[in-house]
Formats: sequence, C-alpha cells, structure tokens
Amino acid sequence: MTAMTDTVARRPSSRRRQIDGWRWSGRIFLVFMLLYTALPMVWMLITSIKSGFAAMQFPPQWWPDQPTLASYEKLLDPQNSVGQDFLHFFWNSLFVSTTTTILSVIVAVPAAYAFSRFTFPGRNFLFFAVLLRNMFPAVIFLVPLFILMRAIGLVNTHGSLVLTYLTFGLPLAIWLLKGFYDNIPVQLEQAARIDGATRFQAFVLIVMPLSTPGIIATAIYSFIGAWNEYIYAYTFLSKNEQLTLPVGIQRFFSENTTDFPGLMAASFMMSVPVVVLFLLLQRYFVRALTEGAVKH
Amino acid sequence: MTSHSLGSAVLCGAVSTALSVSLISTSALAAPVDLSKWSPEYVRSIAGTQDFDTAADCAKVTPLDYKGRLTFWYQGVFEGDPDMLREYYKDFFATFRKTYPNIKLEDQALTYNDLLDKFRTALLGNAAPMAIRLQILGGTEFAAKGYLRPLKPEDLGYSTSDFWPGAMKAVTWEGVTYGVPTNNETMAFIWNADIFKRAGLDPEKAPATWDDVVKYSKQIHDKLGIAGYGLVARKNAGNTPYRFMPQLWAYGGGVFDEASANPTYKKILLNSPQSKAALQASYDMYVRDKSVPVSALTNQQADNQPLFLAGQVAMMVSHPSDYTVMLDLQKKTTGADTAKAQTVIDNMRYGLIPAGPDGKRAVVFGGSNIHILKPEYVEGGKVDEPAAKALGCMWASPEWSLKLAYAGSNPGNLNGFKTKWMKERLSSIKFLDVTTSMLPYGIPFPALPQSPEIMNIIVPDMLQNALTGAMTIDQAAEDAAKKVKNLTEGGL
Repeated sequence: MTAMTDTVARRPSSRRRQIDGWRWSGRIFLVFMLLYTALPMVWMLITSIKSGFAAMQFPPQWWPDQPTLASYEKLLDPQNSVGQDFLHFFWNSLFVSTTTTILSVIVAVPAAYAFSRFTFPGRNFLFFAVLLRNMFPAVIFLVPLFILMRAIGLVNTHGSLVLTYLTFGLPLAIWLLKGFYDNIPVQLEQAARIDGATRFQAFVLIVMPLSTPGIIATAIYSFIGAWNEYIYAYTFLSKNEQLTLPVGIQRFFSENTTDFPGLMAASFMMSVPVVVLFLLLQRYFVRALTEGAVKH
Repeated sequence: MTSHSLGSAVLCGAVSTALSVSLISTSALAAPVDLSKWSPEYVRSIAGTQDFDTAADCAKVTPLDYKGRLTFWYQGVFEGDPDMLREYYKDFFATFRKTYPNIKLEDQALTYNDLLDKFRTALLGNAAPMAIRLQILGGTEFAAKGYLRPLKPEDLGYSTSDFWPGAMKAVTWEGVTYGVPTNNETMAFIWNADIFKRAGLDPEKAPATWDDVVKYSKQIHDKLGIAGYGLVARKNAGNTPYRFMPQLWAYGGGVFDEASANPTYKKILLNSPQSKAALQASYDMYVRDKSVPVSALTNQQADNQPLFLAGQVAMMVSHPSDYTVMLDLQKKTTGADTAKAQTVIDNMRYGLIPAGPDGKRAVVFGGSNIHILKPEYVEGGKVDEPAAKALGCMWASPEWSLKLAYAGSNPGNLNGFKTKWMKERLSSIKFLDVTTSMLPYGIPFPALPQSPEIMNIIVPDMLQNALTGAMTIDQAAEDAAKKVKNLTEGGL
C-alpha cells in the first residue's frame, strides 16, 4: 500500500519532469534560433562602431577597444559628401517604398474583394494568372522590363521602380487579402444591405474595418519588398541623385578594399525602419499570413 | 630694304617667334618619354621636368566656352579607397565644371565589378551614356559589337606615342582605335616581413619564383598555422585574372600566345603543359598543402586585404594603393590600435612579381580607357562629341591622368611621368618604384571581344574545377581550352 501510494505520489512529479524536459528543449531551441538570427545583427552593430583597422583584426575584437561613432556621424552629416549621398538615398528609398505601399493597397483591396465576393467569367483563370509572374525568377524579367521602361520613358525615374514593385508585389498582396475577405462572413454584408447600405457602403463600413489586419500586413509586405529590392533599382537607375539605399550602400565596396564599419553602419541604419515597422505591426502580419489557412 | 627695316623685321620675327613658342604648350617642345630607357632611375630623372597647361591644351580640342551636355559613366572611387584619391576625383569634376562652365556634366560612378554588366544592360535598351571610362578588358568587346565610335589620342589633342604601346593595343580592334588610355598599371608582390621571419624565411627577400611561392606558402602554414599566399579564384571578378595570369605566363603558358612579342591570338595554350604546371601550383597550395585561405574560391582582393592586414595571410599580389590604404586606416585609429597598425605598416614589403621556372617574369598590364559611344545606343539618340572630347582630353591629360591614378595606378599619358605631381608621388608613396619597375613586364589581355568572358568566367572556372576536385588538372585545362575554342569560333 505504501509502495502504491509512493507510485501515485511520484506520478505527477515524473510527468512534470517529462513536460519540463520538452519545454526546456523548446526553450533551448528558441534561444538557439534567437542567437542565429540576432547575432549577425549584433555583429553588424559592433562592427559599425569600430575603426576600419579594428574591424580587420584577427582574432576579432568582440567589443572594440576604442568604440567610435565616426561612421554614423559621417553618414548623418549633411555637410559631408558621404552623408549627403546617404540621406539622399534614404529619402529615395522612403519615397519609392511608401508610394509602392500606398498604390499596392489601393489596387489590392478592391481586387481581392472582387475575387472573394464576385462570380464572373474567367474568375479562377484570372486569379491564377495574377500569380503567373511569381512562378518565374524575377531576374528573367530584368532586360525585357528595362527595354519596356526605356520605351515608355521611365528609365532613370522612380516611377519605373514603383511600377515594377507593384507588378511583383500585387499578386501576393491580393492573395493575402482574399484569404482575409473569405473569412469575413458574407452575412454581415447582407445584414448591412438589408439595413439600407449600398454594396460600396457595406464594403467600406463593414468589410474594411474587419480586414484592417490584412491591409496592414499587405502594406508591410509591400513596404519591405520595395525597401530591400536591389537588382531592378540597380538596373533602372543610373543617376546618383536617384539611387535607392540597397544600391547606394555599394559605395562602401571598392576594387581592392571594403569600408566595413561604414558598410555596417549604413546597413544598420537601413534596417531600422523595417525592424521598427515590423515590431510595431507584426501581430497583424502573422495573423494575415495564417488567416486564410482555416476556413470558418 | 634698308638696314633699319631689315633689323625691324628680324626683331619682329624674333619677338613673334618667341611669342608663338610661349603660346605653344611645352609638351610640343619636350622630348617624348623614352620607353627603351625605362627603369626606376629613369622615371625619377624625368619626374618634375615639365609643366603642362591642361585647360589651354584642351581648349584646342573643345573651346572653353563650348555649350553642351554630357552623360558619363566611370569606375568610381568610394569610401574604402584612399582619401587622397577620393579628393582628386572630387577635384577633377570640380575643375572640369569650372573649366567648361557651359557643359552640363551628368557623371555616374559605378563599382568595379558592376560597371561592365550595367553597361551591357544599358546598351540593350539604348540607354548608354555618351562617354564611358571602362577597365582595359572591356574596350574591345564593345568596339567589336559596334557600340563605340572611333577615338584616338590625336582626337583629344595628344599623340599615340604619348601612350604605352600595350595600352594602345587594348583599344584597337581590326586596325581602328576606339579609345584613349587614362591610366595603366602593373601590380607587385607584397609580403609581411614579420611573418616571413617567424616562419624562418628571409624577411627582406621576396620569393624569386612561383615554385618558391608554393614552398614559402607551405612553410608559413606549417609553422604558423596561417595562410601563406592570398590566392583568389572568384568568378566574374577582375581580381582573379589579374593574379592568376602572371602565374600562368611565368610558367610559359597563356590563354593564347598573348605573352609573345607579336601575338596572333590564334593558338590556344590553356591546355599546354606549361599552363597545366601553373594550375598545378595553385592546386598544390589549395588542395595538397592547404596553405592558402580556404575561402579562396570566393575571395577577391578586397577579402584578402583584411586577412593580410590582420596578419592571417603572408603574401599577396596587389597595387601600391594597399600601402596608402593602410596609412589611411592607421590615421583613423586611436589608442592601442595605432601602434598595432604601425607594426603592420612597418612589416609591409613590396617586390617584383615572382618569375617562372625559366626566369620569365610577367604581370597583367592593367588600366582603363575612355570611349565615346555611337548615338544610336545613347539615351536621347545624341552624342555631344565636343563635350565628350573635352572630358576625354582633361582625363587623359598628363596632369589628370596622373592625379586620378595617384595612389593605385600610373598615368596613361606618359607625359604624366614628367609632371611635378609624379615627383611628389615618388617621395610620398613608398614602393612606387617596384610597381613602376614591373611596367615593362606588363602583358595586355588579348585584344579580343571575348576577353572579358575568357578572363572573368572561363579562367576562374578552370581554377575552380581543379581546386574543388570536380576535374583533374588535365581535365580542367582541356575543358577551359575547349570553352575558349567554342567561344572564339562563335559557339558556347
């Protein structure tokens, strides 16, 4: 009886140990993943506050002997040619990314709603046709798009980038939003219509507020895509005053040498808007990505 | 005619002759640079012996009040380059705008590895700039495809004899000249004296042959556990052929017969026993001895430089600018780093590029050229030729071809060696003697349109195939030779 009592008494603690083991494995795995993703960022930050010589030392200085903000000062100083260029590139990236984001939302919202709610001839074909472009690597469209942009006079304009980014970003944006609309019960709109609302009013007053997370996710997706894009910006723009950040930071590479602290400081500053945006709005982004996965 | 009138006439004649002579640029009167006498002593003897008036010389090509517009691309200098060089580039464009205030110049700097690809794409869309400064390897490709208009030194107010014959060969296609050299250089062999000493080698003596490089590299690696030679084998990066071709030529090999006195570029030598011996040397260092950086397959010089400065690579082939870069880095250090940087500087040594087994020494004759495009490939369909010539004249002038090559190259215009800035440069840039001494050993890349593909893709591919073990040395060399054959016959 005593032995049995012991067994009964031990059972919960052994189960707890077992559960704790899994939990700890999970935690260790998550810490490992955190280090895997965060360490490069930390190293980037540390390198950005080293001198050029210290950045080349081996074994590396895990924390610089003489930390310096010289690279940041250079980048943010509008009196300095490097700073002038960097701030210019930053503004160009912001302009292109914001414009792309706004246009992407304006086009994707009604398009996704139409695919979700209306039945029309060729609906399925069109829906998958939207995705056709995403089935090919972006680089194969490089030269044809360049020639097209040249023909319509958009080479060396930010318009060429906005148009291209929309072409690439819209299919996924429409897919994301359609998943959202599919999960909003159509009965809500029907109720609004019974109460006298027009279809447009039902869309604006009922559907749009409910799909806000999806719209925000679409906006983040468009913004990040445009902010980080390199190859089209590099091909379409050849005037210094129009370059965007991903192309502009190439200036830290030379034929035989690289300015590592400058490059890391510029990369860090380039990642700040995206990281901040993502941190603020990440719950919407994750929700939008999983929303279409389960039908209610 | 009276004696008075005769005297007056003689006097007038003398005065007008003197005036005319004073108005003619001094370059027209001075003796040309004698390449047959080329040596460090000769270079020193001519430095600072002549003054040039760039604006006056270029005014004869394009009037200084000319009104026009010019779009221009070039391989720029950026944040990692020596401060002094960046200042000179800034000064150049400021001076051009001041000298030609009515020419609207739209200049765009591009990085070394991107210039050719970006230019190719722009040409496909007829959106090229009116003028471009390309690395020496690029000119023939674009001339052969018909993108460039003929341009010779005489069009810019200079004489062909003012430039290295090898440089002129690189801008000539089927007997027509399509560009003007702006700068030409040869590299040197750099080593760390302290590492040599610790590895039991003579710290003041460079390896005499490439076989010695293999031997030294192994000794350094075995004794100190660091990389001996800074091998680079990255694809599609100009750095690789600049470092492997001297080795290939020294062993008596080549892609074609480009290392001979009168190359015909007809016979492929990549699969010759000599070329295979050169490839074997790289194989021995990378595979057998593991005495070079393990990242050599993706390394370019910008990756080797930090390793060298950190004391992790003992030897490398590079420009004199590496020394200037190091001085710049030291200037920006503080605390204990300053002394560490000084130690690296004190241990830097420059020597001639090693020779082959039979004493043959070779180096790539590098540089850049200015070209003018045909209007049909240019954005807007128009080329402002006088504006393009004005810029070409200034860049290729003795003054600016020296200043814009101050730290890493040499003036393309040989008269640049006579300027006061050359004299200043000889005293301020250590080891410049070594790299200028290598110039007569310079071999230009084959003047063929296929050269960029051969040098940037096929040759590095051959190296990678052998070093990764994907192919044997024989197979890699035969494969590369076959690819060159297919390419030159219009296939691939």
